[in-house]
Amino acid sequence: MKKDIRVQYPLWQMAFIVLFGFMAFSIIGVSKEFNHNSEGFSYSLEFNPLESIFLLGALFISLIAGLLFVRKIYSHNKQHPDQKLSMWQIKPIEFLEQDEGMTHITRRAAQKVYTFFVWALPFFAVTYMVFELPRFWVIIGILFLALMQYLIYYLEIRKHLREDEE
Amino acid sequence: MLHNRVKELRARFGFSQGELAERVGVTRQTIGFIEKGEFSPSITLSLKIAREFEIKVDELFWLEGEISK
Repeated sequence: MKKDIRVQYPLWQMAFIVLFGFMAFSIIGVSKEFNHNSEGFSYSLEFNPLESIFLLGALFISLIAGLLFVRKIYSHNKQHPDQKLSMWQIKPIEFLEQDEGMTHITRRAAQKVYTFFVWALPFFAVTYMVFELPRFWVIIGILFLALMQYLIYYLEIRKHLREDEE
Repeated sequence: MLHNRVKELRARFGFSQGELAERVGVTRQTIGFIEKGEFSPSITLSLKIAREFEIKVDELFWLEGEISK
């Protein structure tokens, strides 16, 4: 069960969030030039070596991870034709709803994530209102919230599945 | 809290968690959650499990403070 893509999905999402953080760091740090005149407009980006490495590295790893993830979904659908998953489904992939017991632990995990947002969202809203933070830190804050959401969810599900195995 | 004899009866009937799960149409994990008292099953599932053990639901599940029948 622990190897089920629905259980591991939060880990994948956390990895993609970290990679997105590297991309955000690279893109926000570049020199941008926007020229607009009567003949038209041009937009140029100039990357320094460190930012280029971060951006290209993150893009490359994201591509590889994305392909591996698609393969995982494909093999899950092959093994569980009655519980098919889609990359584009509206319902979160990590929801375990095969039966009432799994729905129960999903609800417990979702409740913990909801409780986290009840406190974290006002905290971040007030922080951004009071302090004039650079755009990079606003994005990092949003990514942190997303990361925590998946971490809390994953730890709660894992706790129940591990207790069951003991 | 809801107490139960699922583990005891499962052993008596010689079922593994997976076998009982298959018979009543749930995952093995759900049987584990019930046995540990972590999850209270629905009436439908309780009836299905009781039927497998050929007993009444109140002989299988009882509330804390009450004596098992």
